Order: sequence, then structure tokens, then C-alpha cells
Amino acid sequence: MLVRYGMPVLAMLALAFAVISTNRATPKVVHAEPPSPPPVAAYANQLGAVGLVEAASENIAVSLPVPGLVTRVAVKAGDSVQAGQLLFSLDDRDLRAELALRESAVALAQSKLAKLEASPRPEEIPPAQSRIDEAKAQLEDAALQLRLMESVKDRRAIKEEDLLRRRRAVESAAARVRQAESNMKLLLAGTWKPDLEVARAELRQAQAQVARIQTDLERLRVTAPISGKILQCKVRPGEYAASGTLAQPLILMGRVDQLHLRADIDEKEAWRFAPGTEASASVRGNSQLKYELTFVRVEPYVVPKKNLTGDATERVDTRVLQAIYALPKGAQLYPGQQMDLSIQAQEEAH
Amino acid sequence: MKYIAWQMLTGDRAKYLGLIFAIAFSTFLMSHQVSIFCGLMNRTASQIDDVHDANIWVMDSKTQYLDEVKALTDQDLYRIRGVEGVQWAVPLFKGTSRAKAQDGKFRGVILMGLDDASLVGLPRSVRLGDPQHLRDPETIAIDETGYRFFFPGEPYALGRTLDLNDHTLKIVAIIDSSAPFVNLPVVYTKYTQARDLVGRERNQLSFVLAQAAPGVTDAEVTRRITERTGLKAMTGNAFGWETIWYYIKNTGIPINFGITVVIALVVGTVVAGQTFYLFTVENLKQFGALKAIGVSDWRIVGMILMQAVIVGAVGYGLGIAMTAGFFAATADNLDLRGFRMLPEIMLGTAGAVFLIVFLASAVSVRRVIVLEPAVVFRG
Repeated sequence: MLVRYGMPVLAMLALAFAVISTNRATPKVVHAEPPSPPPVAAYANQLGAVGLVEAASENIAVSLPVPGLVTRVAVKAGDSVQAGQLLFSLDDRDLRAELALRESAVALAQSKLAKLEASPRPEEIPPAQSRIDEAKAQLEDAALQLRLMESVKDRRAIKEEDLLRRRRAVESAAARVRQAESNMKLLLAGTWKPDLEVARAELRQAQAQVARIQTDLERLRVTAPISGKILQCKVRPGEYAASGTLAQPLILMGRVDQLHLRADIDEKEAWRFAPGTEASASVRGNSQLKYELTFVRVEPYVVPKKNLTGDATERVDTRVLQAIYALPKGAQLYPGQQMDLSIQAQEEAH
Repeated sequence: MKYIAWQMLTGDRAKYLGLIFAIAFSTFLMSHQVSIFCGLMNRTASQIDDVHDANIWVMDSKTQYLDEVKALTDQDLYRIRGVEGVQWAVPLFKGTSRAKAQDGKFRGVILMGLDDASLVGLPRSVRLGDPQHLRDPETIAIDETGYRFFFPGEPYALGRTLDLNDHTLKIVAIIDSSAPFVNLPVVYTKYTQARDLVGRERNQLSFVLAQAAPGVTDAEVTRRITERTGLKAMTGNAFGWETIWYYIKNTGIPINFGITVVIALVVGTVVAGQTFYLFTVENLKQFGALKAIGVSDWRIVGMILMQAVIVGAVGYGLGIAMTAGFFAATADNLDLRGFRMLPEIMLGTAGAVFLIVFLASAVSVRRVIVLEPAVVFRG
């Protein structure tokens, strides 16, 4: 009896168990909403792009004309600076020493010139005058000796030879007077003009060298090229600053009163892009926060896409067209931030 | 008449039970093996099924299945966003890495990198913690299998760390993920974080997950994405099936299970058929007597079929309950998760069982139909 009727009853119960447990084990397929909403397409026919926030002036990586050791940094990241304001200065001890040397050369040239300009020296005139006087006195003496001999009436009393000697003595004394007088003239005439010119040229050269060192010194002070904000300051006193384009700029600055968004549009999608169409961008992390964009310009040259992973050995995989959009003023954004763009695409040509 | 048939069937207790158990065990064997097979195949698509918030998967055009991926370029994501009808699209990383616990225990793990901002693809069943904390730097969510492997016998706790590719990462959530095919632990992290945890490859965008805009069908959007970008786009469901078919075509698993199922079917048919046939033969006298008193052949056929149906139903009920009991008993075993009986298998097995009993009864019916009623009075 038990087996006869028990088996069908048991089978019914077993089947019920199987149905219930299988039903319970079957997972319910549910469609869930994303934990945070992803950026949603803003236009029916749109282009997707990634954008990088940058300063309206574009980001300026301040560079150096000469490399050197940094001695002083006058700004920090976030500072607002005026055009021409000192950013940082480099080690100038070498040039300062050089400058002292060059300045002494200027002084030397100046005194040389002053010396030449100051001649004749007043003290030299009296001796020269005395030499004239002396020559004149000797001339007078010689002339007296000659007159005494000529006043002798009787020619036999004097020797012809003595008379001639005295005459020659007078001529010679007269020549010495002329010589002393011309010496005096030479002295009074002062320095020769070409000599003065040479001295002046030497002074100018020394001054030019000082000016050059001063320019070199000026180049060691790095100043702000425009008024704006310091976005990044990667230079510290004691570090060696290299010149030229650096992977990590020493100081990054820009005008941030207006922010721009640089959108990378894939070259394969570039044909769908039309300048001036509507565009909006959402902030990463909060896709609800959206900004309407104003078209500024498009950079007509299609550039290799730069990956933002910061790896130096990256190869180019695609090229991108870059379009610049202006963000509304007062947007809570920072230069360097990435945004997801929706750009209205132009009607497709069929 | 029905009562007589019932009396005949249950009169011999041993034959009655023998018939039932032959059917019950072949039911169990078939449904159990098919369930394990389906479970195993379903596992290959586990990581697809675990994405509940996006319907569309976009991948390289030559992708064959989930586990072999050629990365897309980062720019492809934006091209997909530009396709009409795409409401949103986010990146998804899928790869493998090796995780190491502080005591040196290590294991390969399946690494899933979710879009940093939206965390699309996050499993929804959480054991402990808040997966939203994955937004924090250097954090991961690990599945239960992984946690139990690295910290065996310890209660679930957050804040422990694992090392992946020289990064020390903090566990912020313990989740319940569907078992992958090879049953490796599954680790979830941010997309950008995941890229740091694997080798130095340039492109690491494994998949793009997208959602169709309201009013546009998934099929339409996948077609448009493929047309516009040249990439392969399909719904998660279709991709799951593609992955399953890849394994069916490229592994010996279906042949192995197929043989078992065929044997179950053949053995079930032969044993049940033979037992039923012998049972009918032994009852030939009774059938002869019935014929002799003028019961039509059709009534007798009806009686035999009724007996067959009762045996089939009882045997099936017991057998299928054994299978269901097996999966109910192993439901908490993490290594066997994902193995379950599908309703389709229940129905299919029922069909197979009734095929067996009808085949078995068909042979018996022939003997009864050709029976001369006079045989009863002989010997």
C-alpha cells in the first residue's frame, strides 16, 4: 500500500520541490542604472571628443635663454603676476665679477682720455719758457761777443778765424732760440687729435663691454612675458635650470580670466565637424555638470594625438583635429582638466 | 479499466519500483549532466552577464570571444559616442594580472577596469563594503572566491591589501561575481588604475560599453556603430552567446558531455524499455483475458499508455528532484557557483523521459495487439 500509493505522492512532492528550487536558483535578469550617470549624448547627430581645459592665452611654458643654477624663485603656483615681473633668477656671480673687471676697464680708458685732454701740463710751461729765455740770453751773449770783435778797427789785431767763429756762434744761438720757441709751441698745442680719437674709441669699447655684461645679467632674471596666473611652478632654488623646450616646463603660466577648451576630434570624424555648431562639455566625475561652449577657432593643421599617459615612448596611433571653444566665465574648472564634449555634427551628405 | 491497469502496474512491487528507478536515474543523469554542461558554458560569459547597466558591447572587429581581446584606441571611444542613437559610451578594461597577498600567496586574477567617473559594469551584489569607494585611488573590489583564497578561514573584512604589479591596493568591497570559466578570482578597479596593473601596452581599451538612446533599439545602434566605426558592436546577450559558441566549437567539452547525455538517454530507454516490455509480456495472460471478454484493442493500448505515463511521471519527478537537490545542496559552494538547473533543462528532460516511455510501451503494445485471446486458455 505504502509503496503503491506512496511513490506517486512522493514523486509529486519531489517535483514540486524541483520546480520551486529551480525557480529560486534562476537569477532574475535585471537592468540596473550605472552607479553614476555617464556623459549622455547632447545632440541627436553629434561628435564625441575629449577636451583639455587651458588658459585663453594658451599655456605658456616659460623658457630660459641660458641655462643656469637657480638662486631665487620669486613666485609660487597660483600667484597672479604682471608682465615683466620677476619670476626667478639664476646664479650671476660669474657675470658680476666680469662686470667689475669691465667697469675697471672703462675707468682706465676714461682716465687715459682725461689725461690726453688735460695736456699741456701747466707745470711744463715754465721750464720751456726758461729754455727759451736761456737760449735768448745765450744769443745775446754771442751777439755781444761778435759786436766787440767787429768794433775793432784794425783788422790785423784780430784773427779772421775768431771773427768767423763768433759769427757762427750767433747763428747757432739764434737757432737754439727758434728751437726752444717751437718746443714751446708744440707744448702749448696739447695732444694730437688722432691720439684723442683713439682714446675715445677705447673708452666706447670698454663701455660697450660693460653694457653687454649687463644684458647678460639681465637675461639671468626670468620675467613674466604676460600678465596672468602661475599655473605650475616646477623650479626651486638650488636646481639647475636647462634652457630650451623641456618635457616638464619650469614655470607654466597663462591668462585664466577666460578658460578655453581644446577638443581633440579624431581625423576619421573630422569631416563631420563644422565650425561654429553648438557644443557642450560635461565635467568628469559629475556628468550632470555641463557647460555650454562658444566656438573660438579651429586649428587647421591636424596633429598627431598626444596620449595623456605621460609616457615618453608613445607612438602615434591617430591624428586629431583641434578645435578651441571658450568656456563660460566663472566655470569651476582648472587648466589641465579633461572634459567630455558633445559637438553637434553637420548634416551628413548623402 | 483504469483501476485494473493501475492494479496490474503496482501488483508486482519489485517491477514497479524497478521501472520507476530506471526512469528516475536516467532523468537524473540527463538533467544533471546537461545542467553541468550548461553551467560550464554559461561561465564563459560570466563577466558579460555581470554587466547589468549597459546592453551594448563594442570591440575590435575580429574579436572571437570575451577572453581574447585586441585593444581599441582611446579615440575609438569618442567615435562611438559620436554615433547617432548612442546615449552614452564608457570604456571597460578586461585583462589578467597576478595578485599577491602579503604572505606571498599569489594567483592570477581576472582584472576588470571600470570607467572612473561612472563605474559602469559594477556588479550589484555586494557582500561587504561599498564599491563606490573604488573611486578612491589604489583600491580594488574582489570577489568572494578571491577573498577566501587569499585570506582563508578569515571573516570578511575591508582594508586588507593585495599587491598587483608592484601596486599595493586596498580592498574596499567584497562582491559576488559570477564564476569565470577557469574560476580565477575577479578583481574590479578603476579603468585608469587597471591600466597601471598590467604590462606596458600602449592601447588598453578592451571594450566600450554603450547604451542606446531611448526610442532606438539596441540592434539599430549596434548596426550604426559597426557601420560608422568599423568596430564590432553587439548586445551583451549576443556576445555572451558568441563566447559560449566559441568554447563549444573549440573545446572538447560538448563532445564529452554529449556522450554522457546520449548514454543516459540510451541506457534509460533500454533499461526502462526492457523492464516495461518484460512487464507487459508477463501480463500477457491478463491482457488476453481482457481481450477474450471483448475489450477493444484501443482500450488495451490506452491501458498500457496509462501505465507508461504513470511510471514516467513518477520516475521523472523523483529524478528531477535528485538533480534539483544536488544543486540546492551545492548552492553555497563558491567553486560550483553558476551551476544550476535551467527551466529549459527541466522541460527538455521531461520530453526525453516521455519519449523513452512511449518507445518502451510501443514495443509492448505490438505484442498485445497481435495476441490471440485464445492463448489465455492454452496451457
